[in-house]
Amino acid sequence: MERMRKYYLAIIRRLLITFFCLSVVPIFGFAWIMKGTVEETNIIKLEKLAITTVDHNAQLISAFLREKQELLQLLVSLYEEGAFFDQKQVEKMFLAIGGKSDIVDLLVVDADGDQQSYVGPYRTLVAGKNYFDAAWFRETMLSGIHVSHMFSGYRNVPHFVVAVTDPLKSFVLRATINSSIFNSLLHSAQLGPKSDVFIVNRAGEFQTPSLLQRTELNETEMLLLSFDRRNETLITSSEVYATRWLINDHWLLILKADIGDSLDFYLQIRNRVILIVALIIALSLAGAIYTSIALARRLEKADKEHAANSLQYAHVEKMATIGRLAAGIAHEINNPLQMITSQAGWIAELLPDEDPAQVKNYDEYRKSVEQIRHHVKRAGTITHRLLGFSRKISTENDRVQINDLVGETLSFVQKEAENNNITIIKSYTADLPPTLTDGPQVQQVLLNLLNNALDAVGPRGVVDIRTSLCVGDRLCIEIGDNGPGIRPEDLKRIFDPFFTTKETDKGTGLGLYISYNIVKKLGGTITVENKQGGGALFTVRLPVVTLGRQG
Amino acid sequence: MNEFNVLVVDDEDDFREVTTKRLTKRGLKVWDAESGVKALEILEGTRIDVVLLDVKMPGMDGIETLRHIRNLKPLIEVVLLTGHASVDSGIEGMKLGAFDYLMKPIELEPLLEKLADAYEKKRLREQKIEMAQMKKHMSMPS
Repeated sequence: MERMRKYYLAIIRRLLITFFCLSVVPIFGFAWIMKGTVEETNIIKLEKLAITTVDHNAQLISAFLREKQELLQLLVSLYEEGAFFDQKQVEKMFLAIGGKSDIVDLLVVDADGDQQSYVGPYRTLVAGKNYFDAAWFRETMLSGIHVSHMFSGYRNVPHFVVAVTDPLKSFVLRATINSSIFNSLLHSAQLGPKSDVFIVNRAGEFQTPSLLQRTELNETEMLLLSFDRRNETLITSSEVYATRWLINDHWLLILKADIGDSLDFYLQIRNRVILIVALIIALSLAGAIYTSIALARRLEKADKEHAANSLQYAHVEKMATIGRLAAGIAHEINNPLQMITSQAGWIAELLPDEDPAQVKNYDEYRKSVEQIRHHVKRAGTITHRLLGFSRKISTENDRVQINDLVGETLSFVQKEAENNNITIIKSYTADLPPTLTDGPQVQQVLLNLLNNALDAVGPRGVVDIRTSLCVGDRLCIEIGDNGPGIRPEDLKRIFDPFFTTKETDKGTGLGLYISYNIVKKLGGTITVENKQGGGALFTVRLPVVTLGRQG
Repeated sequence: MNEFNVLVVDDEDDFREVTTKRLTKRGLKVWDAESGVKALEILEGTRIDVVLLDVKMPGMDGIETLRHIRNLKPLIEVVLLTGHASVDSGIEGMKLGAFDYLMKPIELEPLLEKLADAYEKKRLREQKIEMAQMKKHMSMPS
């Protein structure tokens, strides 16, 4: 039993593994690939967006700076040299370009670095200063134009300067430009809450504040700086970098896009997909478990039925074999029995010829011969009964009303029942269909069962007989008694030939065996069980046969 | 008891012997044969009324012998005797015209009765035939 249970568990396990491999694994694999694809696609898109954004902003910033440079150069070329050393003229110039609020002040320095004129908010701070040693002054004098790094200067406000000199290098015109305009510009270029856009100089110093309030570059960003003035994109595991060099590689515009930010939407989709996949997996797992268990159950049931059928078949086989064996033995025994009875008969015939006075034990011989003949007759009865059910020649079937047949059979035992004060309870189901069967044989079976029942209950017992139409449209005749019942170990053997619980003289052990074979021959079954309240219950089931139809 | 002629056919010598003795003692004329072939030989040359024939014999069995007897002497009645009670041999024997069949072991009395019945049947039949022949002779002016 344990072995079988293990076997079915193994089947369930194997089915589950199969189902798992066939459904869950492909779904999971598909989901995994999809997830990777979605992420990669997203990164590529993000990279493109970063490049577009950084290009756009680089153009804007370049245009802005170029405009300032050109403005200053325009002033230098429009006015005569003298005008720049005149405070009033410079003020006019400032007003002329003053519409641009991003120019904070204008400063004119002569070739010696002395401040000549100034328009702007820090007049007192710059008055009389000499810039000859200032880096921006030197560079402007050398290259004619200069854009400084951001610095706070005296004003403590981030700004940068653009300085130009005239072709004769007789003075330098410097404009301070409010860098906050960059900040708002770059702010709009931010691609997500964790993304950053800023400008650094070649030394890696922040030219515009990091949107994330960072003050130092990380290693990756330093690496970007070391790229040899090429516009690069760099993708790390969590970020996409896009860079553009500005104003002759003076500044580097760095756009850093956080992959996580841009993934938000995709993550939502991915989570939904994962949820759906998980649901599908759960469903298919549940389905697989259910199906596996159901299949295993079905298999178990089929196996059990098969085993039961085999058992039944084996039983039928056994009975048939026993039948053949019994018939063979009976036949072989009949011949010697014939000899014994013939010889004994011969003696009996010759004995009267003797003179009883001459033969000392004459009476003993006579008695002995009688005994021999009696016991041969007894043995003959047994062999004849053994063969009896197959000897029946007439297999003609009549229309039989079971109730009538039962009533008729009961009349045979009525007398005996009365003598022993046995009560016979009859419960007939009315309107039972008639069936074509061998009435006398059925009667023989019923008589046998009734006799057994009467023997079992003994005096003052109760035997009940019931007819009904039972499962499968079969005629059921139940004969129950309130006797001691049948011992469980005997139930299996009760239909075997020569099995009897009666005293040796009373029963041959053939009655039920013959009944079993008769009922089987008529297409019915005979079963026995012990009633719950005690006593045995024999049930004969016969098919309802009508003309031309086997019920 | 009418005296009539019986042929006992059985392969068992002891059985033949004792049956012959007992039937003779009852006043019948008894022949015996240990095989079907022998039985047919006897029938050929002897006037036998009833044959007691064992069904199961080596060589030519009872049924086969019965068939030959029916061909040879259709008026002779045959009583089959068998240790085997199979429906088939019984039915077959009856179909072939055996008077009846008996199962071993059988006491002498019922056997004798059956043989007598068989002889009676044969006698009546022969009587009828005789009557018929007589009628024929009478109706035919010779």
